Amino acid sequence: MRINLTVHFRCTADNLAAMASTGYEAARRLEAGNPKGGAGSHGTTHGHIHGHCHGRTAHNMSSSSLRKKSDLSLVSKVRCGLLRTILTNLQEILLGTKLFILFPAVPLAIAANYLHFGRAWLFALSLLGLTPLAERVSFLTEQIAHYTGPTVGGLLNATCGNATELIIALFALHRGKIEVVKCSLVGSILSNLLLVLGSSLFLGGIANLHKEQSFDRKQADVNTGLLLLGALCHILSFAYEHAVSSGEHSADASPGLGLSRACSILMLLAYVAYLFFQLKTHRQLFESEEEEDDDNDDAVAQDEAVIGFPSALAWLLGMTAVIAILSEYVVATIEAASDSWGISVRFISIILLPIVGNAAEHAGAIIFAFKNMLDITLGVSLGSATQISMFVVPLSVIVAWIMGIKMDLDLEVLETGSLIMAILITAFTLQDGTSHYLKGLVPLLCYLAIGACFFVSKPRPNQINDVNAGALTTST
Amino acid sequence: MASTGYEAARRLEGGELNGGRMSKETQHGHGRTAHNVSSSSLRKKSDLALVSKVRCRFLRALLANLQEIFLGTKLSVLFPAVPLAVAASYFNFGRAWLFALSLLGLAPLAERVSFLTEQIAYYTGPTVGGLLNATCGNATELIIALFALREGKIEVVKCSLVGSVLSNLLLVLGTSLFFGGLANLHKEQFYDRKQADVNTGLLLLGALCHILLLMFGYATNSGEHAAVDAVRRLALSRACSVGMLLAYVAYLFFQLKTHRQLFETKEGDEDNGDGVSEDEPVIGFPCAVAWLVGMTTVIAALSEYVVGTIEAASDSWGISVSFISIILLPIVGNAAEHAGAIIFAFKNKLDITLGVSLGSATQISMFVVPLSVIVAWIMGIEMDLDLKLLETGSLIMAILVIAFTLQDGTAHYLKGLVPLLCYIAIAACFYVYRSPNQTNKGALITAA
Repeated sequence: MRINLTVHFRCTADNLAAMASTGYEAARRLEAGNPKGGAGSHGTTHGHIHGHCHGRTAHNMSSSSLRKKSDLSLVSKVRCGLLRTILTNLQEILLGTKLFILFPAVPLAIAANYLHFGRAWLFALSLLGLTPLAERVSFLTEQIAHYTGPTVGGLLNATCGNATELIIALFALHRGKIEVVKCSLVGSILSNLLLVLGSSLFLGGIANLHKEQSFDRKQADVNTGLLLLGALCHILSFAYEHAVSSGEHSADASPGLGLSRACSILMLLAYVAYLFFQLKTHRQLFESEEEEDDDNDDAVAQDEAVIGFPSALAWLLGMTAVIAILSEYVVATIEAASDSWGISVRFISIILLPIVGNAAEHAGAIIFAFKNMLDITLGVSLGSATQISMFVVPLSVIVAWIMGIKMDLDLEVLETGSLIMAILITAFTLQDGTSHYLKGLVPLLCYLAIGACFFVSKPRPNQINDVNAGALTTST
Repeated sequence: MASTGYEAARRLEGGELNGGRMSKETQHGHGRTAHNVSSSSLRKKSDLALVSKVRCRFLRALLANLQEIFLGTKLSVLFPAVPLAVAASYFNFGRAWLFALSLLGLAPLAERVSFLTEQIAYYTGPTVGGLLNATCGNATELIIALFALREGKIEVVKCSLVGSVLSNLLLVLGTSLFFGGLANLHKEQFYDRKQADVNTGLLLLGALCHILLLMFGYATNSGEHAAVDAVRRLALSRACSVGMLLAYVAYLFFQLKTHRQLFETKEGDEDNGDGVSEDEPVIGFPCAVAWLVGMTTVIAALSEYVVGTIEAASDSWGISVSFISIILLPIVGNAAEHAGAIIFAFKNKLDITLGVSLGSATQISMFVVPLSVIVAWIMGIEMDLDLKLLETGSLIMAILVIAFTLQDGTAHYLKGLVPLLCYIAIAACFYVYRSPNQTNKGALITAA
């Protein structure tokens, strides 16, 4: 029965011409027809459905943990049809997540910009506003994936999953703040590998103290291999710069630029192969297993879209635009915030920015670790780390190349060392397919140690000139 | 007597037309190691019908031998490069040409040496045969290293040996797993990870010795006692080399005596349509030894040309000596093993692929490198284990990538693509890298 309704809904969705109202009607009908359908029959038939609609990847599952089931009873009392539609959409989009309390930060940030509050305030408000927006973007991507099928949906998810990091990186590049780009991307990888994974395994281990916790290690192996490839490219760039700068060729500001660009192309090739592997040939490794006694009382298990395709697309574009605005504020005010709060830009880029940007995924990963569904936790954290390392980083280098900015893959000693150690620790932790709380505590403490290290490290002398560097480095 | 050997071979082939194919002989003859099986993939079964028409017995024996030796491999097309290289040396062709021809000539010679070693192993029994195989399996790299040492080109020695390890670990293994994974896309691909673990452990030991030397150099760099530190570094290298050779002896003991079963190739329903599965030798023992000595001499001659003309080729082609040593030399030297590894990966026999690539890497890292240091010690040349930052970093990352790739006992094409891309990244890095003191190499350092 449920399958039929889904198919029916799809036909309806395909026919409508940007009528959000029909989407609302369909959703209404589904909900009215199956008052317990969302929670009850979901469990039994879910296993059959997911092979046939689209496999729910780890990201989809994780985001759903933060959803709230929209209570449309209030809105349905509104008489006017169009107003009701708009309000439903708004409720679904803006209130459909537990993070919505942070939404007021968005208008406050815009107000702060125009009314000239302290720049540190602008920075903080923009950061806070980015969190729910990032979560909504992933929700909208998932909704769109319902319409486009599993492959394109997976691609969309892979690309837009880290939209925030990508947009921040591009804005920082545009302003020539290359160190901010590098630091924020490395920090994102470190945060995903150590903080998200560590806290999830730790809290999940404590919550499931007397149960067996196992996961499929094949997925972890694939991600670890790709992360090591990325780390190799960084090490090669770093060692190359180091080796050459000790010789006579130190006149050139960025001797390893050609090497970095070549390595970036290699990394993008690896990412394309990874997508092909994940979405085509070895799908089965990455589908999340959903047990029969799955209780999704907290989360909304949606196998059907709740908003129409054009509506979702429009909202996605709108939200991305708002993310872009907030990111621009963040990138512009980072030095002011650093001066005002007395901590280095490096620390803000490596630690603070990624924590905020990852907050939604982080919460989802912890929730699924509590439920002892570690495959999803690993899929979220490792998948994000791989995407940033193999897609966002080389893409930034290529975009910088196009823009004429000299960005290479050379991180400093501290960042490179931290990255290598983080990958090694994660690889060894995950290599046997089981988990317990100490396996989570170790990466967590590693992250704290790395955070402390960057907290006390002094900013490098040429850091203040990064803002001016953008004006000077316009030659290739 | 070539004739006796030929007769014996003839009798065996005539008497047991189907006997040779029975794999039960392996228990009784000698276990076929991965190297043996892999090389057999490049053999061609010699068609002795033509030769047997020759009337004179002695001539017939000689021609049969020649045909077996020279035409018994698919790489025989490269054999003409050998006399061409010798001619190029005497007629003074361009030195870059001499380099290229010598390199090309080395490939089939290396394969033939491993074939002859396998033949001799039939006569000497499994243990000595395994030892021979282990030692002569990388004869080319060893000979090139010794010649380069003699000419004082220490950087070429170090770079070519590191490049050989990198090529075996990343290029050979990566391409094999990648193509094997694509060819067997819907099959399960397994291998025994115990063998991989043994090799990884030894490789890490070798890497540790290199890292210690590198860090030792950095730690003492800023002191005022530069000369004393250099002496200490040399002593440390030599001590580590002795340690590495001890580890290698233990590895041989492990592989040939106590834990043979880990390394025997399992031959169940093996079809050897392409390869020649020989459980009996095809040439006589004295004959094989004579050919082995002869081929090794030719390899030595070509290696001398290679080492002598490497700078000229570098200038002529516009690429750095380190790139030629690290990337080009090993690719050519490993060509036969590389082809064999890919063929067996296609047949989903990954144990053999791993045995070839990892075994070669371990042999070079734990045998050829420390042996070079010891020989340099004897010759009074100051060679230490200190590779530069780039080479050491690449070596470490290569071992780590392979260790993590192979740790779960399964394979798919993405597991091959990652090491392959790592190798391309490392090659790109060395392509653009110009060593600051590159032009000063070649000067003889003969301080005792």
